[in-house]
Amino acid sequence: MSERKYTLASVGPQLDRCLSRIIRNAGFDLQFEMAEGEAPHPDFENPDISVKFAGRDVDLLLSNRAELLLALEQICLEVLRVPSEDHSRIAFDANDYRMLRIEELRLSARAAAERVKRSGKPFAFNPMNSRERRVIHLSLRDEQEIRSESAGVGPHRQVIVYPAGMPSAPASAFQPPRQGGPPRGAGARPDRGRGRPRR
Amino acid sequence: MKQLIEDIAKALVDNPEAVSVHEVIGEQVTVLELRVAADDLGKVIGKQGRTARSIRTILGAASMKLNRRFTLEILE
Repeated sequence: MSERKYTLASVGPQLDRCLSRIIRNAGFDLQFEMAEGEAPHPDFENPDISVKFAGRDVDLLLSNRAELLLALEQICLEVLRVPSEDHSRIAFDANDYRMLRIEELRLSARAAAERVKRSGKPFAFNPMNSRERRVIHLSLRDEQEIRSESAGVGPHRQVIVYPAGMPSAPASAFQPPRQGGPPRGAGARPDRGRGRPRR
Repeated sequence: MKQLIEDIAKALVDNPEAVSVHEVIGEQVTVLELRVAADDLGKVIGKQGRTARSIRTILGAASMKLNRRFTLEILE
């Protein structure tokens, strides 16, 4: 990503209006501040604009892998007509979730790489959005003995790490479609429930 | 809740005047029926259903605060 494409002057007022209305209508206890780019991991994420949330509902915002945070981001980007290739230029955040998540993904990538080298078998991550998959691919780009690729469609798309010489498995080899429920993550973090938050 | 969905939909589409939300109130659940112009259906659903899923996530979080279930139906 090169020079800034979005500035607070160009999209700030519209972004503010969009978010404020949603937060008010939904009854969320959230405040937010918009700022121009500050990236703790510029190799991985380098947004033009970051929107940081605070308030009582930050827990709600970040539950289920920041499901609500990312949903608000997605809606606002669509409302602002930001084309999908530019979506990473505007990033929503709270409690440094994004930075922590990148560190977590880099660690997972390293663990997966070791595992594939040791076992000689492919390893499938849980499904992730494109930004998170990108972090995994970037973390593994200098590895010689393994390779990574994404497989699956839409919300089921996941990164698969193979030994360097191994051909790709056929689609759906890792993610058998399950009816009537959310997809089950393969590997990576079996300890984390993907269901609705229980409260 | 009706206002929440109506506002989001109107901001997403090209024909906001064609947006309407009808509430069907049941005992446990309220169904929100969102109608948009046929041309705008893709705008509220999004690639791989991503926008519709995001709207449902926001609705789900808001319903949790109200302790009442709301579901969203998108109609042409």
